[in-house]
Amino acid sequence: MAGAGGGGNDIQWCFSQVKGAVDDDVAEADIISTVEFNHSGELLATGDKGGRVVIFQQEQENKTKSHSRGEYNVYSTFQSHEPEFDYLKSLEIEEKINKIRWLPQKNAAQFLLSTNDKTIKLWKISERDKRPEGYNLKEEDGRYRDPTTVTTLRVPVFRPMDLMVEASPRRIFANAHTYHINSISINSDYETYLSADDLRINLWHLEITDRSFNIVDIKPANMEELTEVITATEFHPNSCSTFVYSSSKGTIRLCDMRASALCDRHSKLFEEPEDPSNRSFFSEIISSISDVKFSHSGRYMMTRDYLSVKIWDLNMENRPVETYQVHEYLRSKLCSLYENDCIFDKFECCWNGSDSVVMTGSYNNFFRMFDRNTKRDITLEASRENNKPRTVLKPRKVCASGKRKKDEISVDSLDFNKKILHTAWHPKENIIAVATTNNLYIFQDKVN
Amino acid sequence: MEVQKEAQRIMTMSVWKLYHSRMQHGGLRLHRSLQLSLVMRSARELYLSAKLEEEEEEAAAAGEIFPGQLETGAQTPQPHLETGAQASERVPQPLPLPLERISVAPEPMETQEVGGSLPTRLPLSEPAWSPVPPHGGASKPSRKRRSSTLGKSGAAEAGLVPSKKAKLADEEESERQPQRQEGPFPTLAKVLQDRFSGLILQPPTVNASGEAKPGCRQGDGVLSIMVRAVVAF
Repeated sequence: MAGAGGGGNDIQWCFSQVKGAVDDDVAEADIISTVEFNHSGELLATGDKGGRVVIFQQEQENKTKSHSRGEYNVYSTFQSHEPEFDYLKSLEIEEKINKIRWLPQKNAAQFLLSTNDKTIKLWKISERDKRPEGYNLKEEDGRYRDPTTVTTLRVPVFRPMDLMVEASPRRIFANAHTYHINSISINSDYETYLSADDLRINLWHLEITDRSFNIVDIKPANMEELTEVITATEFHPNSCSTFVYSSSKGTIRLCDMRASALCDRHSKLFEEPEDPSNRSFFSEIISSISDVKFSHSGRYMMTRDYLSVKIWDLNMENRPVETYQVHEYLRSKLCSLYENDCIFDKFECCWNGSDSVVMTGSYNNFFRMFDRNTKRDITLEASRENNKPRTVLKPRKVCASGKRKKDEISVDSLDFNKKILHTAWHPKENIIAVATTNNLYIFQDKVN
Repeated sequence: MEVQKEAQRIMTMSVWKLYHSRMQHGGLRLHRSLQLSLVMRSARELYLSAKLEEEEEEAAAAGEIFPGQLETGAQTPQPHLETGAQASERVPQPLPLPLERISVAPEPMETQEVGGSLPTRLPLSEPAWSPVPPHGGASKPSRKRRSSTLGKSGAAEAGLVPSKKAKLADEEESERQPQRQEGPFPTLAKVLQDRFSGLILQPPTVNASGEAKPGCRQGDGVLSIMVRAVVAF
């Protein structure tokens, strides 16, 4: 797969589609909270704050339209989670979908896990494009026939009908988390999965809903001694007994479930010493890791903290092998970002299919890609201004200080309400899905 | 001075954010509460160290320097008892409200989490607030949370456990305070509201030398809010 873009043999990114309302006035329920391609890349799922899941399907490639890959159209929409109320604690439970994870396809149906703060659900999405006709005891409209009028028997046959996509909840995994669930991860055995909240990680079997194993518990005996929380967790893509979890202190722990039943003691601890020259009030907050993702190969993992993306080699614990600054120009603005709460934003990150490029979001609807081989990076914008199909996206640049060149945007002009927190990369092709507040943008590389 | 002001501004902002985060949809978030309390603590440390530097400068200027006790981060008992004595004169004036209702102090132990220099600063408040005889540095055995050792009555007075006795006090307070809000964490809400209204009802009294000192007192109380916010989980 080619590089990030920006010249030479690198690919050029083009606008493909945008989904969602054009309104500037964003309904809270429409705010996209998660984006995920399935294993083949044919399906793209989004979750929103209103608890809905929308699945897009890629059109089969059309020979006549060879200049672009298939478009993504709505395949299924369903209400995954409803708002709930915990009567014991007098607490509202938000219906916002925190994460969606696809299961690999085993038969005609598709399965995904979706989770809000407290409950995980396994959904089956299946197609119905035929229906049986020719019943002996029923008319076609459903009315029962008088049995005495039945003189011959026939075998009902399937006849084609308009495609109907049905989503049904097959399992509901509830009541296992006291704190807010922040991540789920399906094991490579395709039988078990992890769910993590602020203090605990549970291991589930996909078939069993009435119990789960608690495998990590960092709740201190005395809550006054609490100093860190779990922020993300992921299973290793190949090793079914290995998983990692990140913390609010900027550390990542790798655990092996074969070592003991309770994985409170890590097998590896990944931590980079803090640069003392960067110390400030907000050092601890910005070192909190908001996302952790293994590379497809399983050799590396990527972490996202507030200002940077770090690539870690699993064989080296004391520092990352690569560090990319996403928006270093914000370091001097941390106080303002604390005031407007932007410092608490949780950005995600993702790998491309060949693990050569990583991508993450920023403010002003900018997103960034870093090519690990060429060490080049590019900043692009998700905006309706560039919304003609196959329009090549122009690289953007932020001017940190001093004289602003033409086409550059100054830090003070950035719109901090327009943030890209969720991005996803097609597992095989150069197609990316980028979520702004309530719109989903799909970009592709330019195909000649 | 600028540093102090900035630190105080950040402390106030953090309290406000924590107070309002409980009202957001979905309830209090542990991670957010923890982050806010971390910022609070950093700001408080900076505020206190800046304040101490300023006091030392003033003392030096007045010719009362204490040799070998310049601010290094490791506190010794003597300067604290000195400033503690000064502080205790001032404390009753700016914050009578919290003192009346809370006989159990926002103890040193409550802020024992990580910062090594914290415990030694808190004796500043001890003479005025705590029934425990003031002692110099904080030693491990005395770190136990006062409210937990006093059991029910202590906890009740600290506002964590409902008590019959509190009813009379409530009636008095409700006249003074904004309407209580019930919500997901009633005890936490009460603690936040009590402390927060203590802060807003008693703005730092500005006087020639002590402008920042009542603020320091408030900082103590405010940090305990952070701790209690996390504990309430």
